[in-house]
This record gives sequence, structure tokens and C-alpha cells, in this order.
Amino acid sequence: MSKPKIAFFDFAGCEGDQLTVVNLEEALLDVLEHVEIVSFREAMKEHSDDYDIAFIEGSCTRVADEARLKDIRKNAKIVVAIGACATSGGINALKNIRPLETVRKEVYGENWKDYDTYRARGIGEVIDVDYKVYGCPMTQSEFVKVVKSLLTGTQPDIPNYPMCVDCKQAGNVCVFEKGQTCVGPITRAGCDACCVTEGATCWGCRGLVNDPNVDAHKEVLEKYNLSVDELTKRMATYFTNELPKG
Amino acid sequence: MTAKTLSKENFKKFAENLVKSERTIGVKAKETKYEFGNINNADEIVMDYDVTLRSPRTFFQPPKEKLFDFKLGANTEIKPNIEADPFVLLGIHSYDLKALNQMDIIWDENNADQHYKARRNAATVIALEPTQASEWSFWGSMDSSTVDKGYDLLLTDIGNKYYVEVGTEKGANLLSKYASAEDATNDDNTARDKVRSELPNLCKADRKVKCDTDGITASMKNSYNNAIWEKLAEKCYSCGSCNLVCPTCYCFDVKDTIELDLATGQRTRKWDGCLLEPFAKVAGDENFRENRADRFRHRILRKTVYVADKLNGELACVGCGRCSSTCLPDITDPVKILNELCS
Ligand code: SF4
Ligand code: SF4
Ligand code: SF4
Ligand code: SF4
Ligand code: SF4
Repeated sequence: MSKPKIAFFDFAGCEGDQLTVVNLEEALLDVLEHVEIVSFREAMKEHSDDYDIAFIEGSCTRVADEARLKDIRKNAKIVVAIGACATSGGINALKNIRPLETVRKEVYGENWKDYDTYRARGIGEVIDVDYKVYGCPMTQSEFVKVVKSLLTGTQPDIPNYPMCVDCKQAGNVCVFEKGQTCVGPITRAGCDACCVTEGATCWGCRGLVNDPNVDAHKEVLEKYNLSVDELTKRMATYFTNELPKG
Repeated sequence: MTAKTLSKENFKKFAENLVKSERTIGVKAKETKYEFGNINNADEIVMDYDVTLRSPRTFFQPPKEKLFDFKLGANTEIKPNIEADPFVLLGIHSYDLKALNQMDIIWDENNADQHYKARRNAATVIALEPTQASEWSFWGSMDSSTVDKGYDLLLTDIGNKYYVEVGTEKGANLLSKYASAEDATNDDNTARDKVRSELPNLCKADRKVKCDTDGITASMKNSYNNAIWEKLAEKCYSCGSCNLVCPTCYCFDVKDTIELDLATGQRTRKWDGCLLEPFAKVAGDENFRENRADRFRHRILRKTVYVADKLNGELACVGCGRCSSTCLPDITDPVKILNELCS
């Protein structure tokens, strides 16, 4: 059996997820035993449009992105969105909560009209996506997990429960016990609650869990004296596109 | 068996000797809370804690454990993995030991679990009657302030010394090896009885289950269609925190993972909880408890009915109050639920 050909593509993002792949080091060599990389701007010059699996990083933020995404979808048998920007719009989506014109002027100054850009979206809003690797950036272990699933034809085991599970497994003191707040109770687990374990709080970079109880969490945050403004900011960092409107 | 006493000073020496020679797991401070962990220095040990973040089940059923390694091929190879180094568990409170005794029965059912049993046998249990209760504790009204089995040694703080009840030969040997204990006198016995009789009052007055514990199972059996489940579960995150801190939750999920060589791998199991959405999901995406309220109800009925049935009617809630304190929307406190549903 010939090795499946894989290609990496980037849209609006910081390349943190592609860097995660490059940083796999030895594991990357093991991956290369099973696949052939035909396109990867972050690591090589060559490019080919003959690929089976496309890994896409970054958000769709321009009309021109749509055509490119559709091309990739046409060429690839399997499309995998990697990182928060690609899976949900990530922090790029923060711009969506303000008027587009304001944002464009702020970023591009008087030439703002020369740069067409619109609402930042996860690529799943433009093309069908087969798998999602969450996180900002995604973790090496989850990327490898998804690659192994693709190679063995199994469903990757991506958690669909809140971060509090990872926190309990890690034995963390809940940040709410320390007068802080986090969005872990509505965030998809799977990173071992690493930020809480390291003494910070969870900002939700893995995105919302399926069926999050957002109303319950708003009530809890209010109970812990977060103002409506702080609460909105807390929720907007990574959830702008995913939150129910209103 | 016999009863001894250890002056607080002698207890300190005992603890120092233990830590020096045995793998000792005890209670220590973790930020503003307490947690069981490896003790490297006897000074770390906290004996007057109220409750630990997680229950001691961590040491009998770890959050994640490898069951075996495998190698695929014409002749699939399997190498079992049981990690059960001997250890001393120091300072487990009576209610947690009561829970551990229940787990001994559960893990022994049907196919006795070799991993659990190996670790349980590897443990020397030095139990401790509580001297403090957390603001959420209600073990005082769940028949859990004292315990009469499961320990190798059982300590009761009777003022300037510990009363030490020796439960097993193993406990007796440990004590004579590492401590200079004295025989308990009649006065010591009286002092211990007095401390014991007052233990339930350590729990706050408003932390009482008002109904008779013997009637709880019957009342709860009638609660299945009560509107309370929908009402409370409206605020539930399905975060499973209430499961994962509970000393009588023991569910797990088993997964196979394969290495990048696509030939070798491991079977692991990790904690699971019935509040989590995927818990009752099976092939074909069918979910037996799809609604939050169904899952929310299930946990409470496990503690009061389903598991109780496996334990000759003993309730599988020991009143540690951990679920109550960990639940951010504050909906799952058994005291409130039982007082509302049981007459
Ligand atoms: S998801 Fe995060 S790491 Fe990946 S491109 Fe976006 S900002 Fe960078
Ligand atoms: S710190 Fe956040 S994620 Fe962790 S248990 Fe508390 S609420 Fe949940
Ligand atoms: S703890 Fe939260 S913010 Fe940190 S990596 Fe995990 S999901 Fe992202
Ligand atoms: S009852 Fe509370 S702790 Fe349990 S899953 Fe629901 S929100 Fe989480
Ligand atoms: S149900 Fe709650 S109070 Fe009862 S034993 Fe479990 S964690 Fe403790």
C-alpha cells in the first residue's frame, strides 16, 4: 500500500499549530514512516496538489479564502481542521463582536478599504470538515492521536465533557475556591487542564463542549461577582462564534 | 483485638519512622485545601484536617492506569500490568474508610478486579476518627463518624494522646516495629468512648439529614418521577465533578491506544462518571441517559438505591460533603435533596 499523501495549509492564524507539528521532532519521523508530506510551507519549499489528507490551520476571514478552501476540499479525501482558529474562528473571532468598519480602520488605517476582510470563521462554516483538532495551539498528543486514527481507520477519542473532569483527574484546587473564575465548566476537556494545573485559569481555547450549559455558567459567574462586562469578555475570548446568540 | 495508646510525642516519632522506612501516603496541605499524597517528611502530615479534595480512592483506583501492554500480529502478545507497591495509608477518616469497605465488596463482585485487589492488599490502613468537619460534611447523620472494620490501626485523638485500636496482625506488627505504644487503660477506654459519642456533633447543625437513614432507600425508590430532577438539572453542567470526588464512585472507561508503530499499544482505564454526556452512549450513538436530568437523578439513586442494593441496604453516600462543595451551581447536595424527598 502506498503511503497516504498529506498537505498542510494556513489561513488567518499564527502558525502555532504547524509549529506544533514541526516540534514533534522524533515523533514526526515516526509519522513519516506512514505518510508522505507533499506540501508544508512551514517546513519545506515543494508543493503539490496531489494529496489525500489536508490539515488546515487558521480562520476564513476573506472572500478569497473561500475559493481556496473549496479547492482544497475538492482535492482532499479527508479534511482536518487544526487549532482554534480553524475549528471555531478562535481569537480571530473577537473582531466579530464589533462593527467591521471600526475593526478594519483600526487595523489598516486610512487604506482600510484596500484590504477586504469580513467576519472571522472556522473553516467548517465554509467547507465540510471531517476531523477537528482543538486547542490554541493544538497539543502534540492530540494531533498524533488523530493521525493514528486516520491511519487505523478508527474514531479518534476526543473528549466531549467539560474541563472540570481533567481538573479532578489532576487533583487541582478549583480556581473558584481561590476567588478566581474560569470557563472550564463549558470548555471541552482534553488538555489535562494544563493551565489550571500550572496555576492559571482556563480561557476555553479548546472551545465549547457539545451542549454546554451556558446559562448555568453565566449564573455562576454572576454569583462570583463578575460584572456583565467582565463576563462577556470571559466568554468571548474563544467562544464568540460558538455561543448561542442573544 | 487489643487497644493501645500513643502519646502525641510518640506518635510523631512513629510517623517519622514510618516515613523513613515505608512508602507513606498521608494528608497534607494543598493551597487552601488538603489532599492525600506521598509523604517525604513527617512534618508535612496534617492530622486535624477537615476533608481532602479527592477521596483516597486515588490510591486504589488511580485516575488513569495501564491494564496491559499488547503487541499485535499473528500471535498477539499481552503483558498484564499491575502496579501495587506496598504502602501505608495514614489518616483516612472513618467515613472514607466506610466507603473503602464498600468498594471492597463492589470490586470483588462477579469478576473480582485484580488491579484493585492487589492495591488493597498492598495497603496498610491507619484510619483516623475526624477531629474537624468541613462546612459541607454530614457524615454525622449518615452513620459514618466511626467505622468498625477495614483498618489495620484506628486512631482516635483523645487529647494529649491517640487511642490506637489494633485491627489486624499487620497493624500490630507495624505498631511494634515503629512505635513505643502503651496498653490502653480503663480511663483511656472511657475517654475514647466519650470522644466517639460526640463525633457526629462535629458536623454543623444545619448539615443534618433529617430522615431516618433506614427509610431513605424506600423513599428514594418513589422519587423517580419527581419534578425535582428536572428542576435541579436545569443548572447542571454535566461536568462530573460530583462523581470524581466521591469516595463511592468507581466507574471507569477502558480505551486501547496504539503507538505510532501501529503494532504495539496499551489498554488503559480512567475515571468516568455517570453525569458525563458520553457515559451511557453505546454503538450507533444511542444514549440511554441523554437528558441532563436523567443523569443527575441517576447519581443520587445510585447512592441511595442501586448501589445500596448491592451492599445489603447500606447507603452508598457516607456524607463526606465533597460533591456538595465541588458543585459550582450548588444543585447536588445530598442533604438538601434527601431532606426534600424523604419524610
Ligand atoms: S489556533 Fe491558536 S495557535 Fe493555531 S493559528 Fe490560531 S492563534 Fe495560532
Ligand atoms: S478550575 Fe475551572 S475547570 Fe477546574 S474544576 Fe474549577 S471550574 Fe472546572
Ligand atoms: S486549560 Fe483551558 S485555556 Fe488552557 S489549554 Fe486547556 S482549554 Fe486551553
Ligand atoms: S451536579 Fe454539579 S458537579 Fe455534578 S455534574 Fe452537575 S454541575 Fe457538575
Ligand atoms: S454522594 Fe457526595 S456526600 Fe455522599 S459520599 Fe459521595 S461525595 Fe460524599
